[in-house]
Amino acid sequence: MISAVRARFLPSSSTLLDSAPLMTSGPSLAALFCSLRAWWRALAMGLLLIPIAVTDADETGDRALSADVEAATAKFHAQVEPILRRRCLSCHSHAARTIAGGLALDWRSGWQTGGGRGPAIVPGDADASLLVQAVRHSDTELAMPEEKLPDSEIAILEDWVRGGAVDPRVLEPEHAAADNAWWSLRPLIRPDVPGADPQKNPVDSFLEQALVRAGLPPVGEADRRSFIRRATFDLHGLPPTPAEVSAFEADLALGAHQRLIDRLLASPRYGERYARHWLDCIHFADSHGFEHDVFRPHAWPFRDWVIGALNDDIPWSRFVRAQLAADAFFPEDAAAVAALGFLGAGTYDHSAASTAPRSFENLDRDDMVTQVMSSLASTTANCARCHAHKFDPISQHDYYALQAVFAGVGKGDIGWDADNAVAAARQAWQRVALLATTSPETLLDDPQHVSLVADWESSGKHRAVWTTLMPATFTSASGTELKRLDDGSILSGGTAPERDVVTVTATGPLPLMTAIRLDVLTDDSLPQRGPGRGRNGNLHLSEFELRLFRRGLTEPERIEIARASADFDQQGWTIGHSLDGNPATAWGIDPQEGRPHYAVFVPAAAVTVGEGDVLSVVLSQTHGDMHLIGRGRLSVTGGDPDAAIALPPAAEEALALDAQGRSKPQQAALAAAVLGALAQRQLKTLPAPQKVYAAAATAVNERGVISIDPPREIRVLNRGDIEQPLEEVGPGALVAIPGLTARFGIAPGAPESARRAALADWLVHEHNPLTWRSIANRVWQWHFGRGLCDTPSDFGRMGAEPSHPELLDWLACEIRDSGSLQGNSLKRLHALICTSRAYRRASTWSPEVLAADPDNRLLARMSRQRLDAESFYDGVLLASGRLDDTVGGPAVAHFTQRPGAQLTPILDYDGFDWESPNAGRRSIYRVVWRGIPDPLFDALDFPDLGLLAPVRGFSSSALQALVLSNNRFVLHHARALARRAETAADTPAAQVGRMVQWTWQRDPTAEEEAEFVELAARHGLEPVARVLFNSDDFLFVD
Amino acid sequence: MTLILPTRRDLLATAGGGFGAVALAHLLTREGLADAPLPNPSWPLGGLHHPAKVRRVIQLFMNGGASPMDTFDFKPALEKHHGEALGPKEKPEGFTTPAGTVMKSPFPFARHGQTGRWVSTVFPHQAARVDRMAFLMAMKTTTNVHGPASYMMNTGFMLPGFPCLGAWVSYGLGRIVDDLPEFVVLPDPRGLPYNQKGNFSAGFLPAVHQGTVVDLGRSEPIPDVFAAEAYSFAQGDADRDALALIQRVNRRHAASRPHDTRLEARIAAGELAARMQLSAPTTFDLAGETPATRAAYGLNRKETADFGTRCLIARRLIERGTRFVQVWSGPQGAVDNWDNHGSIPNELPPIALSVDEPIGGLLDDLGQRGLLHDTLVIWTTEFGRTPFAQNNQGRDHNGGTFVTWLAGAGVKAGATYGQSDDLGYQTAAGTTTVHDLQATILHLLGIDHARLTFRTAGVDRRLTDVHGHVVRDVLA
Repeated sequence: MISAVRARFLPSSSTLLDSAPLMTSGPSLAALFCSLRAWWRALAMGLLLIPIAVTDADETGDRALSADVEAATAKFHAQVEPILRRRCLSCHSHAARTIAGGLALDWRSGWQTGGGRGPAIVPGDADASLLVQAVRHSDTELAMPEEKLPDSEIAILEDWVRGGAVDPRVLEPEHAAADNAWWSLRPLIRPDVPGADPQKNPVDSFLEQALVRAGLPPVGEADRRSFIRRATFDLHGLPPTPAEVSAFEADLALGAHQRLIDRLLASPRYGERYARHWLDCIHFADSHGFEHDVFRPHAWPFRDWVIGALNDDIPWSRFVRAQLAADAFFPEDAAAVAALGFLGAGTYDHSAASTAPRSFENLDRDDMVTQVMSSLASTTANCARCHAHKFDPISQHDYYALQAVFAGVGKGDIGWDADNAVAAARQAWQRVALLATTSPETLLDDPQHVSLVADWESSGKHRAVWTTLMPATFTSASGTELKRLDDGSILSGGTAPERDVVTVTATGPLPLMTAIRLDVLTDDSLPQRGPGRGRNGNLHLSEFELRLFRRGLTEPERIEIARASADFDQQGWTIGHSLDGNPATAWGIDPQEGRPHYAVFVPAAAVTVGEGDVLSVVLSQTHGDMHLIGRGRLSVTGGDPDAAIALPPAAEEALALDAQGRSKPQQAALAAAVLGALAQRQLKTLPAPQKVYAAAATAVNERGVISIDPPREIRVLNRGDIEQPLEEVGPGALVAIPGLTARFGIAPGAPESARRAALADWLVHEHNPLTWRSIANRVWQWHFGRGLCDTPSDFGRMGAEPSHPELLDWLACEIRDSGSLQGNSLKRLHALICTSRAYRRASTWSPEVLAADPDNRLLARMSRQRLDAESFYDGVLLASGRLDDTVGGPAVAHFTQRPGAQLTPILDYDGFDWESPNAGRRSIYRVVWRGIPDPLFDALDFPDLGLLAPVRGFSSSALQALVLSNNRFVLHHARALARRAETAADTPAAQVGRMVQWTWQRDPTAEEEAEFVELAARHGLEPVARVLFNSDDFLFVD
Repeated sequence: MTLILPTRRDLLATAGGGFGAVALAHLLTREGLADAPLPNPSWPLGGLHHPAKVRRVIQLFMNGGASPMDTFDFKPALEKHHGEALGPKEKPEGFTTPAGTVMKSPFPFARHGQTGRWVSTVFPHQAARVDRMAFLMAMKTTTNVHGPASYMMNTGFMLPGFPCLGAWVSYGLGRIVDDLPEFVVLPDPRGLPYNQKGNFSAGFLPAVHQGTVVDLGRSEPIPDVFAAEAYSFAQGDADRDALALIQRVNRRHAASRPHDTRLEARIAAGELAARMQLSAPTTFDLAGETPATRAAYGLNRKETADFGTRCLIARRLIERGTRFVQVWSGPQGAVDNWDNHGSIPNELPPIALSVDEPIGGLLDDLGQRGLLHDTLVIWTTEFGRTPFAQNNQGRDHNGGTFVTWLAGAGVKAGATYGQSDDLGYQTAAGTTTVHDLQATILHLLGIDHARLTFRTAGVDRRLTDVHGHVVRDVLA
C-alpha cells in the first residue's frame, strides 16, 4: 500500500512542481505577476500539499471514500466545471494560452500551486481561499472576474471548496486531451489528391483547389529566363550561364522544364547548395563558439557527408539513422561514421567543460536534444527542461528521457579505420591507454596485461641508466637569471617573467641516445619549494623540442619525439601536451608541487651523437603567469627505449618489492606506467585514422580524451536545476505520439549507441508523423522561401498551422512511403515541386492578388527572393570567372589569422589575399567561425550559429549597403569581372553586355546599356561591375 | 482609457501609398513588432510601452569579473578572518581551483561624498563622483564561467545565439538618427572580450540590430564605410557616379515591381549609407575637442589614453544620435583585464587606473553638456570575485555577488540597493539578478521587458527570459 502511494505520489508531485508558474522558460504571460518570493512559497506549499491531496482524493483503494469521491466528482462536472469554464478559463487556462497571474484553473494542480499569491484554494476553507475571495469581490485588488458572478454561482463555488474542492482533473490539460487534435500530431494518413486528372501534378491539384475556393486566379507563367535563373539559384545556389539560358530559351520541345530540373538535380552543385540548408537547421560551424572559440579542423568530413548524402539521394530514414547512430546501424560502412558529425554540430563551451563540468554536460545534452528534436521532428522539446511544456504535450520526463539518449556521449574528434584489423588493434590499445589514466586497477583484470608487465619487468627494462647532460650553454628568451648547479641542474632566479623559452645545449655524453629525461627539482628559493615558479610552485611545459647540431653545421636537425611519459600529470595538463605543437596546452604538476618530478621523452629513432655534435633542448613555457621550471636537469640514456618510462612513486615502490608483497595500488601504478607507454608506442605504429568532429562515447578534443563511460545517470531536474534532482529517467522520447514506444527500455550494459539508435528508430518510424511532416515542410520552404507551415522547426501550438495541411501530408507520405510516386527520394520530390505550375508562376504582384493574399500563402504567384549570403558570394565568383568548383575537403579560410591572448585566434577578413589558392572555392567549403563571423556574410543575414537557424532573415540597412559596395571581396571581383569582359569582347557596348548577361542573365535594355557605357567611358569597366553586384536585378530572384 | 494607436502592420499595409521609404526601412528592420503600437509621439524621450526617461545608453563593461571587495564593496570582516579557511570545501562549479583562505583587500578604503560611500584607493576619480551614482551592491549571476556569464550579462541567456541588450533596444526603439549606427561597440583594441562578437550579436533578431564594432586601432574604424584605397575605381568621382547609378538602377527595378517593400527598403538603405559616409568620419575625429576635455578624459596619459579615447568617442556618438554604446575594458585572456586570478595587488591597479579617470571625465563631460538628462551610464562586469585567495594573492570567479552602478537620466543619485554577506561571497539582501538589471534598463528606456518579445523557434523570446523585476529603489 505504501509503495502504491509512493508510486502515485512521485510522478504527480513532480508534474505539479514542473508546472509551477515561474519555472517557465517559454512564453512569459505566466510569469508576469509572480515574484520570486511568491514562487518559493508556492513550491513549499506544493511539496506539502500534494501527498495530502493525492491520498485524500485519489487513493481509490479506500472503498468507503470511493463512493463519496464519485459523487463529488459528478457534482464537480455538473455544477462547478461549467462555471469555471464560462467565467474563468478564458484567462486562466492552457487552451486559452493565457495563464493570468500564473494561475491555471483548468486542472487541479493549477489551483493547488496557484499563481503569484500562492495556492488559490484551501480545500475545506472557503474564506481562506483566494479564489473565493476573488469571486466575492471582497478584496478590491483581487476582484475577479471584472463582472461579478451571480450569487448562485458564488455559492456553488463556496460549497465546492468547503466540501474539499474535489477536482478530478488530475492530468495536465494538454495531456488530458491527448492532443491528437493538434494538426502535427495527427496520424499521418495519405490524403487523396483532389480532382481526377492523373496528368496533373498533384502539387497543383492541392494548391489550385485552395485558389479556386478563395476565388483567386493565379498569375501566368514566368518567362524562360526568369525560370532558369530561379531554378538554378534554388537548386545550385548559382546563376545559370548565358549559354544555359539560351539553350533553355531555345528548347521548345515538350518537357523542357522537366529536363532542366533533372539536369540541375543530377549535378554535384545541388548537394553543395542544399547541404547548407541542413547545416543551418543544425547550427553547424567550424569552431566552438563561447569563450574559447577553437577551430575544429575535422568538422568538414560531416559537411562532405551531407553533400554526398544529398547528391546520392539516400532515403531520409537512412539520413536520420546515420546522423544519430551510424556506428550502430551501418558498421560495415566505415565512411558513414562521418555522419555522426551531426551530433557535434553545435557549440562547445571549452571553459565550462573544464571548470563547471556538471552544468556544462547538462547544457551540452540540452543542445543535442534541442537540435535533434527541432531539426528532425520540428518539436520544441527543450521547452520542457524546467517545467512541462506550456503548450505542447511534452512532460519534463519526456525531456529528460531525451537527455538520457545522449547521456553517454562527449564531443570531439572520433576516428575511423577502413581496415578492420587496424580498427581492432586501435580500439584495444586506446582502451589500454584510457584505463592507464582513468582506472589503472582495471588493467590488472586482464591476465594478458599482467603478463606484459611481468615480461617488461623480467627483461630488466626498468633499470634504465641515465647520464646527466652537463649544460654547456643555457639561455632564457626572457632574460631570466640562470645558474648551473653542481649536479648539472639549472636554477632560475631573479624576477620571474610571465613566460619564457629556455634553451640548453650540451655535447652528447653517449654515442647513441635512445631517450632524454627532464627532471624538475625542488629548491628552497622557489615558491612552495617549486619545482615551478608559479605562485603555487607549479610549472607548465608548453613544448619540448630536441635538436642536434652536427659538428660543423649551423642548421640543426630536429629530432622527432615519438612519445613521452611523466611520473605525474596534472589533470588536463598531461605530458603529451608538451609534444602537441599547441602552445596553449602544456604539462603541469599541480597539485603535487613541493616535490620533484620527471618526464621522459623517446625519439622516434635512436640518435647517434658524434664527437663535437651538440644537443639543443628547447623548453617552451609560454602559458604565462610565471608557470616556469624553477630548477631542471637533463639526462640521457642509450639503453632499450622500452626501459625509458617515467614511473610514478607507487610504481617505483612496486619495483622495490617482491611481486607478492605489492599492494594493489602499487601494482596498478606500475601496470599503468608500463602499459600506457606500450600503448603509446603501439598506437604510433598504426596508420592515422580519418577523423570527424562528432559526439561519441569516446572522443578527443583539445582538452584530451573525452570519455563518458558508463553513461551519466539522468534525473528529472526540478526547475531544470542540477542541484534539485528528482527521479531517474531512462532513454526515451515523447509520450504523445500514439503507437510508438516512448521509453526505449535499453538493457543495462547495452552499448551506448543503442540509445541513439533507438531514438533514430523512433524518429523514422512510419507512425511518427512529426519527422515526415518536418522534412516535407522543409523541402517546400527551401523551394518557395517559406514552409507550408511557417515555423519549420516548431509544429507545436506556439507555431503556425499549415496553409495546405493535405498537401503537406501528401508530400510527407511521398517521402515516407517507399511505394509512393517518389519512393523516398528527395530528388524526385524536388523535381515534382519544381515542375509544378505553382513553381513556374511569375512573381508579378497585382494589387488584387496582393489585397486578397498579402502573405502569398495561397501561392497565386511566386514569391520573389533575395539572394542569401552564399548565393550572392558564389554568384559573384561565377560571374567574375573566379569560381573554383573543386568538391569537398578541409574547410578553406578566407581570412588571415594570428594567435590571440588565449585559445581563440584573431581573424582578419580584410587581410585575405583574393588571389591566393582556394580563394575561389564555393562558400559551403569556407570556414565558418562561430564567434567571429565574416562581415560580408553578416550583412547578408547569414545566421548566428550559436543557435539553430531554420529560417534566414531579411534585413536592409545602411551598413549592408556600405558592405555590398565597399567590401574587398566585392571590389576585388568587380575588377575580375571587368577584366573578364575585356577579354571576352572588344567594344564597350559588347563588354557591358557580357557583364550584364553574367550577372542578370539577360541583355541590357538600350537605356541600361547607354548608362553603363557612359560610366565605363568615364571611369572604366570596374565601376560598372560594382554597380551590377549592388543591383537588385542581381540580388533578387523573380 | 485605451488609446487606439496605429500598428506597424497598418502602416506597412499602406506602404505603397507614399509612406516614406526611410521610415519604411525602419519598420522592416523591426519585423516581428508589426503588431506593437507605435511609440506615442507625445512622449518627449520616446518609449515603446511607457514614456522613457532615458533615450541613450553608455555601458562600460569591465571584462573578466571586476573584484567588488577591492573596489566598491568594503568588507571589514575580511581583515578579521584573513587567512582563515572559511570557503567551500568542494570546488564549486566554475571556480578554476578550490577555494583558498580568506584574503583581505590589499587596498585601503575611505568614505566619499555626501553619501559617505566606501571606495578603495584604486578608484579615486569614481570615488569623487559617488554621489551621482546609484549602486546595486548585491548583483548575482547564474554561473562562474566567463563565456556563459558574459552571455548572461549581455543577452540574458547563458548560451550563444541570443540577441544582446543593445540589439533588443535597437529592435524595440529604432533609430534616433539615420546617419549613424544605432548600436556601437568599442572593444578594447588589445582584443575582443570572451565570446568574441557573440556578445554583440543580434541573435535571431534581424541582423541590422547587431552591434557595429568600431575598432579604433584600425585605419577604418567602421569597416567598409569607404572602399579601400587599393580600389581606385571606387574613389572620388568614380565612386560617386557608381553609387548614383546603383540607386537609379534599383529605383527602376523597384518601379517595375511595385508593392515590394523590400526593394523600397534597399533604396532607402542606399540613401542612408550615403549620409553615414558623411557623418561617420567626423564622429571619430577628435581634433575639435579642447585640450581641457582631452585632459579630463585622460588622453594625455599613456595609461588612460586608450579607454579615455573610447569614452570620448562614446560621448560623441551618443551626442550625434547613436542610441547605445558599449565600451569594453580588457580583452579576453589571462592579462590586461579584470580577471585577476594571479594577484589582486599587482593586476587590479593597472586596469583600474586605465578606466578610472576616463570614467570621471565622461560623467563630468556628459553633465556639463546637458546630456545626462536623457543619457544613462552603466558600469558592469560579468561577475565578481571570491573573498578567498587564489594563488596566494589572486581571486577566483564568483557569480555570488558583485557590484554595478548606474548614473544619469532616471537614476536616483546616491542610492544604494542590496548588500552582500560579511565576506562578500554571496548576496545577503536586496539581490539584483542580471535579468533585474536588464529589466531596469529597459524600463528607463520606456520598455516593459516582459512585452518586448520576438517569436523564434516556437517561443516568444525576451531579453529577460521569464524573469526580471525593475529595481525601483535606484530609480529617480
